[in-house]
Amino acid sequence: MAADPKMKFLVVDDFSTMRRIVRNLLKELGFTNVDEAEDGAIALQKLQGGGFEFVVTDWNMPNMDGLTLLQSIRATPNLKHLPVLMITAEAKKENIIAAAQAGASGYIVKPFTAGTLSEKLNKIFEKMGQA
Amino acid sequence: MSDFGGMEDLLQDFLQEANDLLSDVDNKLVDLEKMPDDRALLNDIFRGFHTVKGGAGFLNATELVTLCHLTENLFDRLRNGELELTAELMDVIMDATKGVREMFGELSQFVQPQPADPAVIAALKGVLSGGGVVPANVPEPAQHATSVSQAPASELSEPDWSALHAAVTGEVPSVAPAQSEVITKAEAAIVEAAVTPATVAPSGGAAAFGRRATDRPGGQPTSARRAEERGRENTIRVDTSRLDQVLNLSGEIGLTKNRLTSLRADILAGKNDSETLHALDQAVSQLDLLVSDLQNSVMKTRMQPIGRLFQKYPRIARDLARQLGKDVELVLAGEETEVDKTMIEDLADPLIHLIRNAVDHGVEMPEERQAAGKPPKSLVRLEARQEGDHIVLIIADDGKGMNAERIRAKATEKGLISEEEANTLDERQSLNLIFMPGFSTKTQISDVSGRGVGMDVVKTNIQKLNGSIEIRSEPGKGSVFIISLPLTLAILPVLLVLLGDQPFALPLSLVREILPIEQSKIQEVGGKETLVVRGEVLPVITLARLLGWPLERYPEYGVFMQTAERSFILAVDSFAGRDDAVIKSLEDFRPKGVAGVTTLSNGQIVLILDMKELLSDLGQHSDFGSAVRALDFA
Repeated sequence: MAADPKMKFLVVDDFSTMRRIVRNLLKELGFTNVDEAEDGAIALQKLQGGGFEFVVTDWNMPNMDGLTLLQSIRATPNLKHLPVLMITAEAKKENIIAAAQAGASGYIVKPFTAGTLSEKLNKIFEKMGQA
Repeated sequence: MSDFGGMEDLLQDFLQEANDLLSDVDNKLVDLEKMPDDRALLNDIFRGFHTVKGGAGFLNATELVTLCHLTENLFDRLRNGELELTAELMDVIMDATKGVREMFGELSQFVQPQPADPAVIAALKGVLSGGGVVPANVPEPAQHATSVSQAPASELSEPDWSALHAAVTGEVPSVAPAQSEVITKAEAAIVEAAVTPATVAPSGGAAAFGRRATDRPGGQPTSARRAEERGRENTIRVDTSRLDQVLNLSGEIGLTKNRLTSLRADILAGKNDSETLHALDQAVSQLDLLVSDLQNSVMKTRMQPIGRLFQKYPRIARDLARQLGKDVELVLAGEETEVDKTMIEDLADPLIHLIRNAVDHGVEMPEERQAAGKPPKSLVRLEARQEGDHIVLIIADDGKGMNAERIRAKATEKGLISEEEANTLDERQSLNLIFMPGFSTKTQISDVSGRGVGMDVVKTNIQKLNGSIEIRSEPGKGSVFIISLPLTLAILPVLLVLLGDQPFALPLSLVREILPIEQSKIQEVGGKETLVVRGEVLPVITLARLLGWPLERYPEYGVFMQTAERSFILAVDSFAGRDDAVIKSLEDFRPKGVAGVTTLSNGQIVLILDMKELLSDLGQHSDFGSAVRALDFA
């Protein structure tokens, strides 16, 4: 499935520099419709507002972390089909299992390049296309 | 030379955010000493290092990633209860934090950080491997930390996510192989992917953000210019609502300008009926209001909470107290008080000095305190608040206080003042002696507060900001330093006085009142002209004499002025009112006694007088001793 460049992303991270990095990388890949949220709680609020088609979230955040956000998304009927890509510096086995269990669509380890991000996104788009 | 081709902007953002984060970590570390088992604190600190690590990875700051990674792991163990926080461990953590800060310093010069102190890395690794704390002062052979970047990147081993998801959730996807196989296969892949901690972009490979392959970390000598720039942040974070206000006001000013343009056309065309003039009057009044609102709003964008400065100090106080064997807590108050950004930067050094001074000289050793019936732990309070159009900063300690007698003796001994002068000084003036250059009560200059910078520099720096500093002290109870500063440096309320028909501007903050001078009331005391105002004998100084102009007629008015230490009457011919002067400095040419210039509403240029400088010039020719001059106008 060719990705729609107008696809609306939500980038969730408590570190604004990191949000900027992810936003820039997405821009490099042609995705310019990007909104940001500072933590899981704010992200969930924005998602409830509707219009988002893809969530890229950090794991480790105050208030509500990425895993809880992911779980909340999967538990919300109108959001549960949203693809969620987890970004984290943790490449620990138990973390990856936990992300998979919670229903993450993908998992990417910091730092990454636009190329890696594109690869991960395409894999997710493929899966979505199959569904 | 920059190691960050094309990423400088990002780096600046990162540093600003990461510095805030690290200051926060520093404070939490101080709290942690009091509550070593507080999980929320441990979590926050863990996340601090974790976040910095994540950002550093994108900047290819490998050494920073390594250091943060080790420290983060240490906090992971602490929060999981696998390690216990001891004083030695705390020192290791403090060293690591210091290392991180030093790396920020290197980054701010656009240079990739050098590897952390091998001793610190060794100490961290020692703790993590369960070998206990290796004292940092036993250096290991300069073994570079196994840099994470050397770990092979593992992009290839990507688990099949939908299959994995299906496997762990129990759903059977149509295309997936048998469940158990998926799980093991996926897990194997994961383990492979996971054991390389924080896979940093492969060295030599295409790195994030167009970093050139030829860039090499570290080792670039920094130009002196960069080093200078480093001290000052050139960016500022502003609440968007404040910017919106500026935008909104400039929009309205635009509208009013349009109105004026159209009125001008009307008037030039000869239309000058009362309606047109009334409209003109209204438009100008509105513009007046809008511009002053805009000035205020723009000023506000420069205002920053002083807490950003304060947050560095508990750590400094703690380190110093530990070094001296004292138990000191620095209590902060009024962190939300907003101060002009430039002022915050210029206050950093004086405040550090005063805090060091309080911890080093102000408070006593725990035993001494107990003997005096005080709690062993001493409190140093750092407080900020706004009082009218001034910002007041207070540094107070509950130590032994200052002894005026001893200070006088010291100053005499050092030859700073004569014995006679010493005898004429009251309590307050005696305390002020510590601001004299060359004064230090500790016979032994301690490495701590005596870094070649004395209290005189503190005072000079505060005065440069148009501020004043005052001491109050009570023996046995403690000392208080009170700094008073104007809200902003950009606009100076002035009083316009006339000498002949030439106007001069005086800072309004020094003016107490204006009074007529009757020549018959002038009395000569010791060859000096004085005037008695409500029982107070005040010296009269004519502005003409200060400026070296001939006195053509005797001035009619006196301006009662009060500088930090002294009151006097400045005699002038007349007034032209008050004004808010926007100070323009004279670039290459600065006559003595002139602080700058400003433009009046009629376009006339007016000199703003620097009273302190003018008076100090006068002082040299007067009978005032050098000590008094230093006291009053230093």
